[in-house]
Amino acid sequence: MIRELLSVIPISDPAGRRLRLNIAGLAAESMLMGVGFALLVPLLRATFEADFDRAWVWLGAMAGVLGAYALVRWQTQLLGFHAAIGLARGLFSRLGDHIAQLPLGWFDATRVGSLGRLTSQGVIDVMGVPAHLLRPIVNAFVTPATVIVVMFAFDWRLALAAAITAPIAWLVYQWSGSLVQKTDHRTHDAAVEASGRLIEFAQAQSVLRGFGYASRSFQQLDDALQEQRDAARAQLMTAAPGLAVFILVVQLAFTILILFGLNLALGGDIDIAELLAILALGVRYVQPMAEAADLGGALRISRNSLSRMDALLATPPLLEPETSSLPAGAAIEFESVSFGYEDNTVLDQISFTAPERTMTAIVGPSGAGKTTILRLIARFWDVTSGTVRIGGVDVRDLSTEVLMRQISVVFQDVYLFDGTIEENIRLGRPDASDAEVRAAAALARVDEIAERLPEGWEARVGEGGARLSGGERQRVSIARAILKDAPIVLLDEATAALDPINERSVQQALRELTHNKTLVVVAHRLQTVQAADQILVLDQGSVLECGSHQELLAQGHRYAAFWNERVRARGWRLAVRDEIPAD
Amino acid sequence: MTTAEAARQAVADPVPQDQPIGSSVGRLIAPLKWTLVTACVLQGISSALGVMPFIAVAELGRVLLAEGPTDEGRAWLIAGLGVGAMLLQFVFFMASGALTHLADVDFQFHLRRNMAARLSTVPLGWFNDRNAGAVKKALEDDVSALHHVVGHSYTNIVAASVTPLVALAYLFWVDWRLAFAALIPVVGGIALYGMQYRGYGEKMVAYDKALEDVNASSVAFVQGIAVVKTFGQARRAYGRFIQRAHVFVDYFWNWVKDMIPVMSAANTVMSPLFALTVILAIGLAMAAGGAVEPVDLLPFAVLGPGLVAAFLTLSYSQNDLMLARQAADRITAVLDTPPLPDADLARKPQSSRVTFENVSFSYDGQTEAVRDINLTLEPGTVTALVGPSGSGKSTLARLLPRFWDTTQGQISIGGVPVNEIASDDLYRQVGLVFQDVQLLRMSIRDNIALARSDATTEEVVGAARAAQIHDRILELPRGYDAIAGEDALFSGGEAQRVSIARAILADAPILVLDEATAFADPEAEASIQDALSELIAGRTLLVIAHRLHTIVGADQICVLDEGRIVERGTHDQLLAREGVYRRLWEASRVSEALS
Repeated sequence: MIRELLSVIPISDPAGRRLRLNIAGLAAESMLMGVGFALLVPLLRATFEADFDRAWVWLGAMAGVLGAYALVRWQTQLLGFHAAIGLARGLFSRLGDHIAQLPLGWFDATRVGSLGRLTSQGVIDVMGVPAHLLRPIVNAFVTPATVIVVMFAFDWRLALAAAITAPIAWLVYQWSGSLVQKTDHRTHDAAVEASGRLIEFAQAQSVLRGFGYASRSFQQLDDALQEQRDAARAQLMTAAPGLAVFILVVQLAFTILILFGLNLALGGDIDIAELLAILALGVRYVQPMAEAADLGGALRISRNSLSRMDALLATPPLLEPETSSLPAGAAIEFESVSFGYEDNTVLDQISFTAPERTMTAIVGPSGAGKTTILRLIARFWDVTSGTVRIGGVDVRDLSTEVLMRQISVVFQDVYLFDGTIEENIRLGRPDASDAEVRAAAALARVDEIAERLPEGWEARVGEGGARLSGGERQRVSIARAILKDAPIVLLDEATAALDPINERSVQQALRELTHNKTLVVVAHRLQTVQAADQILVLDQGSVLECGSHQELLAQGHRYAAFWNERVRARGWRLAVRDEIPAD
Repeated sequence: MTTAEAARQAVADPVPQDQPIGSSVGRLIAPLKWTLVTACVLQGISSALGVMPFIAVAELGRVLLAEGPTDEGRAWLIAGLGVGAMLLQFVFFMASGALTHLADVDFQFHLRRNMAARLSTVPLGWFNDRNAGAVKKALEDDVSALHHVVGHSYTNIVAASVTPLVALAYLFWVDWRLAFAALIPVVGGIALYGMQYRGYGEKMVAYDKALEDVNASSVAFVQGIAVVKTFGQARRAYGRFIQRAHVFVDYFWNWVKDMIPVMSAANTVMSPLFALTVILAIGLAMAAGGAVEPVDLLPFAVLGPGLVAAFLTLSYSQNDLMLARQAADRITAVLDTPPLPDADLARKPQSSRVTFENVSFSYDGQTEAVRDINLTLEPGTVTALVGPSGSGKSTLARLLPRFWDTTQGQISIGGVPVNEIASDDLYRQVGLVFQDVQLLRMSIRDNIALARSDATTEEVVGAARAAQIHDRILELPRGYDAIAGEDALFSGGEAQRVSIARAILADAPILVLDEATAFADPEAEASIQDALSELIAGRTLLVIAHRLHTIVGADQICVLDEGRIVERGTHDQLLAREGVYRRLWEASRVSEALS
């Protein structure tokens, strides 16, 4: 645990030094507690022998130890919170820095959701370790150890009797842990299955109802819940013996102490006062361990957060060049580019050139790797092999800043910040004048949106742009790109349904944006495909055909088939009878 | 009991709505009352027995230190009783724990099942307002969070009360004056804790607020990272996150900084060493003055320092209890969601003629999403709903399959109001094909035969053929036995066609269709359209239309604006009218021409 904690703190960070100091302080604190307990033996012996003067001396010593303990405890408390604060500050910055450097492609929906939690509550969980959790852990080990050591000084036989169960307890603890671990697999699988079925149950509710499952039970969910119950029950049955034996071993320590001690005392081998004092000490021996056991849950939470942070920090960031090259022009070139996640190849040996101020359309079935090409140009990911060049320069030799100055990205998932429409557009070029912002807005038909909203330009768009419709969000993002005026535009045409008025506005806005630019577009609309200077036909990560609409149509291969299907689709009419109305 | 039976029971036994929120834990665990009482009794016995070994040590001292020859038999008896009590304590402890934990496993199972059953009866629209993750959280995580209450809280409270009470009773029996002295650290500790937590409520609110700000700025930072990076603004959003994080850390530090001296004092006073020192100081003074026998100090040295530990145990479990309470509130919220009232005297519709009479509907009881809708769908005709986004066309279409009940007016099928049709019959009449396709994680055959588990292989294959997906299914290694999402990985368009095959096999005479289904996967558009053409043939069709050219042949087109039908007629009639529809039509022509 402590090792894991130190692993997320760089050696140079003062938080690490403070943490070590804190641990040392806690060890001192626990030892003082143990020594204080141990003073019970001479103190009680003196009392039972009615030697009160000596007893007062020992009590004075005990009070002195208590005073020292109070001081040390105050300091470790201070140190613990100091360490927690330093740890939090360090973690916030390190996590933030690292996130800012990760490849953009890394951020998908589930990661975004869990990152939000990790960088807030997760840091709090970790802060809890130095602030609250370290003390009981250190106590649990150091105080009993001190007590045992001191006991040896009084009577080695009783000390040995008490100590002998410690390694047994340790072995039993390991064994019972392994029992639980064996069943963990099943309970974990059962929980995953049940969660999956619950999500399915919620997501597919309209399907389930629509097909008659309102009155029948959804058997798969019920089965999953039953298995979860059975697994939990099996785990209880398996874990209980381990727990039982562990408790018995701990109790055995006390049993040995009292029976063996009594035997010694009755045989006259030990001073009775000393035995009684040692027995009183013996009951103090187990308590810190019991207290630490109560913290298992909190520790597990912190450990989970820590290991997730560790994993995040271990994700390789995108490497930036020391000094950025400058691209000569806005042509894009792919040279034998391959790309894959893990062992699944998305793009395989792709080569093409998109000359400056031309339009390249990418078509192909879903899953062909169309969007990946756009993402590699913007360096959301690095290629596995081959080279992507902009203006003749490898994108890896461009700093993020220089690269992004070349590119405007208009993707399907538009994210707006919870600010005004104007602020969101200005993001495109923060130093733009108000007139320029308004002009870009007008070109993207955003002025119509501002007119619709009661607060006009001052209207806040809500978190993620929730107050705007999908088409309106797209128009704001296009206005942003128009204002930015980068020489390259990467466009992923939307497949979501827009109403005709919005659709028209979006198309007009896009025309303004892409005019006179190097445009690479994942195209779904036939008009877009037809207008392209060059069309890449992609399937399963390879370029099958490349050429203009007329050339490819004339070849009569894949593109021609694709085109004919799409044209046929355009002629489709909804009809419940066989008469097809004339267009 | 199946979920369906549980559902009926849940409906038949509605929970009162006027319960105070805090009692939600009590309400949920009510069925476990006697189990918990028994477990608490067992725990109480165990805790009382747990004090005995300590008493044995003290009593042993009395025997061994007594004047004259030691009564060896009595000494062995006391030691034996102490060890025996310890063993018995262990037995009762295990019994209590086994009882609560086994009960908890069943409790969680039944609670989840009841919640699922209730959710099967609430208006479908309920699911539109929540994401699936929230449902999973309530049924899985929140139910698990109750474990602490059922498995530990009550027995912990019993243990934390019985142990010091029995110990104190013994100590008072030994010497009442010293027993009072033993209470000093407890009283002092509680007083100092009270000081420490003064104003805690308000500070906690401010703390939560600061933490919430960190969370929100972190989410905004991460969600918007693509945008900020592509616009070279990474530093700005990042800066906001770091700034909020520092505000939070500063707040936290200012809070604890002032608390640390009191906190340290309280913790020192609560420590066993402090209790030991105080008791022995007073005891020693009394023994030196001859007020007590020296041997009487032993019970206090053994039992005194443990009195405070109980109090600490209680304070440790506070946090878990609070989390459990919040979880219980969310769970009862789910269980209290009013179900769609089911038809008492179920009537069967006699035809597939659908009528909307003066239908209005409001999500929030204030603004109406659809208003005064009068509409008839004649059997075997196409009715198209068009209009800008937010005009209410999707809401209107979803009222027919009873995603929600109308606020005013009535929707009838074959003359029978939809809320008087048993839900099974309703969905036998009305089929749904929406854009967000849902394949369940079961075999492709079961997915297609979802509505009719008795369908023959020929019927399933026939539906798959009609939906243009049969050949693709045969390409799978296990064909129709492949599990969706596992060894049957379909593209969007392919999944669409499986869901269309499902609707073909269900064969409902009325169909509600979102036309966006046809182009959700543009590259597969033509084949989805072919499948849809097979599906809709001969049915009464209500379609939410996005692209106007697909519905030029509709029998009637209703143009919605702000929840009302503002125009209706055939394509030609509406074009001639030069109103909203004509403007929409022309806009769609323009965007088709633009590139």
